[in-house]
Amino acid sequence: MKGLIFSVKRYSIHDGPGIRVTFFMKGCPLSCWWCHNPEGLNPQPEIVEMTEKVGDKEFIKKEEAGSYYAVNEIIDILEKERIFISQSNGGVTFSGGEPMLQQEFLLEALKACKANGYHTAVDTSGYSQIENYKTIIPYTDLFLFDLKHLDDAKHYQFTSVSNTLILRNFKLILDSGKDTHVRIPIVPGFNDDREHLNELKSFLLKVKTENLKKICLLPYHKIGASKYKRFKIPYRMDGVKPPSRERMNELKNFFSETGIKVKIGG
Amino acid sequence: MILSPRVRKLREQSLNAVEKLSPERALLMTQFYRSDEARDLSAPVKRAKAFEYLLKKKKLYIGEGELIVGERGPAPKETSTYPEISLHSLKDLEILNSREKVSFKVDDEVKKIYEKEIIPFWKGKSNRDRIMSLMTPEWHNAYNAGVFTEFQEQRAPGHTVLGYKMFKTGFLKLKEEISQSISKLDYYTDTQAYEKYEELSAMNIACDAIIMYANRYADELEQLAKGERDKLRKGELKKMAAVCRKVPANAPENVHEMLQHYWFIHQGVIIELNPWDSFNPGRFDQHLYPVYKKEKEMGTLTDEELFDLLGCFWVKFNNHPAPPKIGVTASESSTYTDFCLINLGGVKPDGTDAVNEISYILLDVIREMRILQPSSMVQISRKNPDRYIHKALEIIRTGFGQPSCFNTEAIIQEMLRQGKNIIDARNGGASGCVETGAFGTEAYWLTGYFNLPKVLELTLNNGFDKRTNTQVGLKTGHAKDYESFDDLMNAFKAQVNFLIDIKIRGNNVIEKTFATWLPVPFLSLLVEDCIKNGKDYNNGGARYNTSYIQGVGLGSITDMLTSIRYNIYDKRRFKWNNLIEAADADFNGFEHIQHDLIYDTPKYGNDDDYADQHAVAVFEIFYDAVNGRPDSRGGIHRINMLPTTSHVYFGSVIGATPDGRKAKKPLSEGISPSQGVDKQGPTSVIKSASKIDHLRTGGTLLNQKFAPQFFEDEESYNCLTALIRSYFALDGHHIQFNVVNAKTLREAQKYPELHRDLIVRVAGYSDYFNDLGEDLQNEIILRTEHEEA
Repeated sequence: MKGLIFSVKRYSIHDGPGIRVTFFMKGCPLSCWWCHNPEGLNPQPEIVEMTEKVGDKEFIKKEEAGSYYAVNEIIDILEKERIFISQSNGGVTFSGGEPMLQQEFLLEALKACKANGYHTAVDTSGYSQIENYKTIIPYTDLFLFDLKHLDDAKHYQFTSVSNTLILRNFKLILDSGKDTHVRIPIVPGFNDDREHLNELKSFLLKVKTENLKKICLLPYHKIGASKYKRFKIPYRMDGVKPPSRERMNELKNFFSETGIKVKIGG
Repeated sequence: MILSPRVRKLREQSLNAVEKLSPERALLMTQFYRSDEARDLSAPVKRAKAFEYLLKKKKLYIGEGELIVGERGPAPKETSTYPEISLHSLKDLEILNSREKVSFKVDDEVKKIYEKEIIPFWKGKSNRDRIMSLMTPEWHNAYNAGVFTEFQEQRAPGHTVLGYKMFKTGFLKLKEEISQSISKLDYYTDTQAYEKYEELSAMNIACDAIIMYANRYADELEQLAKGERDKLRKGELKKMAAVCRKVPANAPENVHEMLQHYWFIHQGVIIELNPWDSFNPGRFDQHLYPVYKKEKEMGTLTDEELFDLLGCFWVKFNNHPAPPKIGVTASESSTYTDFCLINLGGVKPDGTDAVNEISYILLDVIREMRILQPSSMVQISRKNPDRYIHKALEIIRTGFGQPSCFNTEAIIQEMLRQGKNIIDARNGGASGCVETGAFGTEAYWLTGYFNLPKVLELTLNNGFDKRTNTQVGLKTGHAKDYESFDDLMNAFKAQVNFLIDIKIRGNNVIEKTFATWLPVPFLSLLVEDCIKNGKDYNNGGARYNTSYIQGVGLGSITDMLTSIRYNIYDKRRFKWNNLIEAADADFNGFEHIQHDLIYDTPKYGNDDDYADQHAVAVFEIFYDAVNGRPDSRGGIHRINMLPTTSHVYFGSVIGATPDGRKAKKPLSEGISPSQGVDKQGPTSVIKSASKIDHLRTGGTLLNQKFAPQFFEDEESYNCLTALIRSYFALDGHHIQFNVVNAKTLREAQKYPELHRDLIVRVAGYSDYFNDLGEDLQNEIILRTEHEEA
């Protein structure tokens, strides 16, 4: 069994504790307007054109975005990074795309990682069958769980899916007792109005459990914008400005009132 | 800690002082060598008398507000020359005066003095002239082709650091040791007893000379105190006079005395000759801590007074640019820095955690002073706390390249392997750029950089150097003659052995010229066991003697060999003819080939064994060629891997190469990957770099560029700490971080006047960005952009 992965990031320091290797799995059932990893949307390998410069001359190289990895190849990569992972109490993170879209592979990979002694994290949108989560929970040490909007209509409009399933899975994971970081993208004009923020805060207060360790506020940024062109996907965020540092600090203080640790960034 | 107005002013003065050539020392040296007094003396006694003459006649300098006194020249940054080592011609003086980078102002008056007094006396008599006439044609061919450089052609061997002993003793005590050593001389069985007597007599003169020099300062300070109206300053001057009366004749007993004590010693070393790496207080937090603690307990030193003293002490280093270098020496070491590297942390002689309060205080001083000299480093032992590393990282984050990070356990193991005892090993550290040494007991001389990629170029051309049009290496064949990759490697190995032989033969002569003609009785006082052995530092008197040859361009040659194996022998993508034709055209019109070489060929720095195996192979060949070969001082030749700025010079003598590098472009530096080829991030770089066996070297240099965003919160500090500790767990010797963005650098290049204080990490040291050559500036910008991408 193989998994389709579009990027392997070493020295990944914002996807869970310590120094980690993050595997970005290809394919996502959502399509969020602000997504900074558009290459993770399509669940098939794609050919992209890269420009490589030699002096003034430019060479176009066709590169495959997405390669298939066997579980043992995942372990091989981790073994190469073992010293950093063990020195930093780090581990491995499966992100995406949506890793749950390749649930069978994910399960096998998580099992193998645990068998080899690695701390495992899954970074998920929460949009998958509840049964799928139930199977991976025993092999996952940490969930990085995205919460984008509490209002279903808004959620549907900007991500193309309903949030019903997501909220149910969130509850499941919190109840499982596994460490969870909730990740909230702060996207101006979408979910950062006072009303919604208040709602989010009360929601978190309501569902709060001991294993909800952290709220991560992820400021919208434009780093992914250039990728849209390369993947020939229309970019719908033109004109949206990333939130300022002051604004983020303000939000950090706001969410700190939940009594949960808040961090700007992953 | 904030800088006091006094320190701020002295710092500013030091920053603004213009590097200027002072003829004082050259003139005094000429007067002495001409005098009757200099005649009929043995070499050591003559050098001791010359030293005494300099200290008796040289101008004293006491700056306004200074608490620590003494300058090598007549004033800050007025820099001495050493005609007995290397004589500057009028043309050299013109170059020094007018060159764009690392220039020294030379007044017309100075030129006149040189023309009338200095040049006529020393012409043909400097040690550089002596060395050049003693070298074989093979040596000259290799030297001119840029196969290696020669450290001792313009500067004396130094490469040593003060150890514990001299912070606890004074020169009066050394005089007793000398007379004991003289009384023990055995004229019946020791055939060298008389030479030893002369050497010990010279050391005795040097002791008296430095005490006399300190007393001159004491006299002058007392004079000044008398005339001083400001009551506060008057008190300071009186106190300073008392300090100079006491040290360095006697052992220092408080912080002020210790700093002044060291500073007299430092001056003595750099006035006697122009040794490489100037000199160095070494494990400074360890030396200072006992006196600091005592004063704290007695309540005789406030924090403000401590910072004031340390600030004044720091400025002193910055007042002393490296003596002017010309020619190849200027290319290999193009900087004002004189490589005085303060060591912090590590372990104590008993092996326990050495980080103390003073370590943290000195980190504050480093952060607040933010000046080029002295350089600073943190030794990091697995026993040292994370808090200490975090504090160092906070300074590194500000992007001035200091302090650099060293692996205490690796340093100790390197020294144990070399046969040092465990106490001497724990008391050691790194000096210069990254060089491992036993402080206070070892003479570890760097003898020259060795251009590994150049040797490969020669191997591909039947030993012939096209640039200088000479047969430099062995006739092992041309590229297309090598039927297999192993054939090529065997030929490369033969070339390395041949050229290293030439270098070592040269070293063994050159080192002897210093023993014979230029002993250093003063420096010999400072390094054990010169007094006990009755032997000069330059003649194998130290407890441990090591001669290093520094390998350069490991990343580049690894990529070149990888490309050859991959493209020619394994994948058969190109034939030798294609590659040679493309390289001969410097890839003009062959960009498609160059593209494949750059983008489609495995590279060192990505934790890819296919590429990295060649780094190991080259390392082993170089190691086997050098390690264990005897030197002229009873010591041993060994290797280390560092470039200073020689990777730029060495690149400039090499044509286009199989890794897709264009002709004359810089090589990779230290053991870092070639610029921009590491695509997998810092962990892969570290994995690649740790595949060579650091513990069999005397130091390696790894430069890692980081964008500031890797330093943004506590978690990122924890990860960086773990990253460093991981590299060190893999036996990595040293890692340094350049934290700066490319935009700033480009701006600085465009508007240098607005970025006078921009300090970047070059390779083993930090330098003002403005003082770097344009090619080096561009290289650093490229590397930084790559990091940000």
